Amino acid sequence: MAFLLPAALCIVSGYLIVALGWRRRAFVLSDALLRVSLSVGYGLGIFSVSFFLARVFGLSHLVGVDVSVLALLIAAQLLLRGRNRVTDSLSSTTESFDLPPWLRGVAAAGFAIALCAALYSAVLRAIARPHGEGWDAYAIWNLHARFLFVGGDHWRDGFSTLIPWSHPDYPLLLPAAVAHFWSYLGHEAPAVPAIIGLAFTLSTLGLLFTSLDLTRGRMSAMLGGLALVSTPFFIEQGTSQYADVPLSFFFLAAIVLLFLHGDRSSSDDPAPRRGLLVLAGLAAGFAAWTKNEGLLFLFAVVVAQLPATIRRKSQAESGEEPAGRWIALAVLFLAMTPALVLIAWFKHSWAPAGELFSSPPEMLHWILTPGRYWTILQWYAKEFLRFGHWFLVPGTLLLAVLCFLTIAGPGRVKGRRLGPALWTLAFTLAGYFFIYVITPYDLHWHLRFSLNRLFLQLWPCAIFLFFLHLGPKNRAIVSK
Amino acid sequence: MPISPRSDGLPTRIAAGVLLFVLCCLLSSFWMVHDAPNPLHLGDDDVAARSDQRFTVMKSVLPSHGVVGYIGEPGNSGTADYYLAQYSLAPLVVDRSLNHPLVIANFPTSSASSLPQKLQLVRDFGNGVLLYASKDMK
Repeated sequence: MAFLLPAALCIVSGYLIVALGWRRRAFVLSDALLRVSLSVGYGLGIFSVSFFLARVFGLSHLVGVDVSVLALLIAAQLLLRGRNRVTDSLSSTTESFDLPPWLRGVAAAGFAIALCAALYSAVLRAIARPHGEGWDAYAIWNLHARFLFVGGDHWRDGFSTLIPWSHPDYPLLLPAAVAHFWSYLGHEAPAVPAIIGLAFTLSTLGLLFTSLDLTRGRMSAMLGGLALVSTPFFIEQGTSQYADVPLSFFFLAAIVLLFLHGDRSSSDDPAPRRGLLVLAGLAAGFAAWTKNEGLLFLFAVVVAQLPATIRRKSQAESGEEPAGRWIALAVLFLAMTPALVLIAWFKHSWAPAGELFSSPPEMLHWILTPGRYWTILQWYAKEFLRFGHWFLVPGTLLLAVLCFLTIAGPGRVKGRRLGPALWTLAFTLAGYFFIYVITPYDLHWHLRFSLNRLFLQLWPCAIFLFFLHLGPKNRAIVSK
Repeated sequence: MPISPRSDGLPTRIAAGVLLFVLCCLLSSFWMVHDAPNPLHLGDDDVAARSDQRFTVMKSVLPSHGVVGYIGEPGNSGTADYYLAQYSLAPLVVDRSLNHPLVIANFPTSSASSLPQKLQLVRDFGNGVLLYASKDMK
């Protein structure tokens, strides 16, 4: 029961943040589920930030802090209620896959079976290894959570360079959220990080399913959901208490919300849709507060928006004045700013310098070593087919086959509309590549123990974009 | 227009594609169930929980914060043991060196036979967990 109060505060705070950026009038189930899925991540994000700030400023009365945050969010709701134009909910969608009923039944049954299998596996894994599975769970994330929770005035000791492999420069979304719940419970319940891991796993699936359902119809949602939920590595990592699945959640949230913002099928006013930009910026900010890779993704999001902002030639094509496009970019960046300031403050004041950029001469030497590029390329190719721990047939290969078999299908979404999202993933992958080039660690060791998780971080986004591309665009889901 | 199996001679290809996709995904789902922990033996292999139990008594006699030294088995298994010890003893910082007045010895699978002369045993907590004082650092 003691868990219910912080859980309720967390979800309600998250829901209020989502409602601030995305207001709707009518009730549609997928729409509501999408917002609930988003609320989990935003709630945990705000819980993490509020706990960290409470630690920094020595505030011990967490209930007071949480109620204050809640009151602020409610006040903002009331203040903006008259200003924000309410957006309609989606009333009907055109199915991307107009399949015969028997095949729709097979797909639905397949999704249901895969979902049950994933839940069974995830719950057993969480119970069997309550402290997490693997090195990073207890050497990094839960260790930092313990220092934040039981450290008292000495919580900063958790970022000591005497514990080098604990990556004391890693940001604190996950550890601080865990410590926030522990503070309510009064002890280090191992169930908390396990439940948070499960919550992020299910929210990522819910976000993927509902966003595809709203934009491409139920069949695309089921096939996309099936692709994710039947990826064994996604379930393994989701319950391992690592930060890669939470990171994938925020990546997907940012990509989905940016796509919804960019949806141009109706003659809608851009002003109310800027709330989606704010939510996308917050998601990218929370990604950066989750793991260092999130910082790379955040910059990739901004850079990927630039060509679309500069290149659009006519107002008719873009639906916005040129100044409006720059304002939109500024809004996105401003929404990222609180997280960037927090991360800069954390890295400057408490975290020691990371190892990656510790030796510029060595970095230069690695950059000028062509063999490293070839090695990394080979690993990228290999991991493309095996990172998901699939049985017999890789999921990536399956998507390629599905794409080939439906290649003559009409009504593909033009690449231009998906361009910023595709460029974001491409820049992020290129950034990962560059990090491997300059890594001070043994290259093979580093690739072996991290590349599959980096691919997993982008996997939900890749599935979302794949099924967006495969089907034609439905009616706008965000309209006046 | 939707992608339809009833147009332009596509039905077989698209239906086959979707069917193949669903079946192959289910193969991985069945593998996931097969690979899941045995429900009858849950919690038997949780190394972090076992480590917490091994260090419980020692934690109660150590200072609540500060830095202690550490010595354990060499090699990769020793590194994992060190991080499990650090996890169990947080918020105490465990430095993997002997340059501290108090030094923890952690030997879960072997005996602490050849320790440096400068270490003086303070207490043996059992299960390969020992507390030493460093004579040099007094």
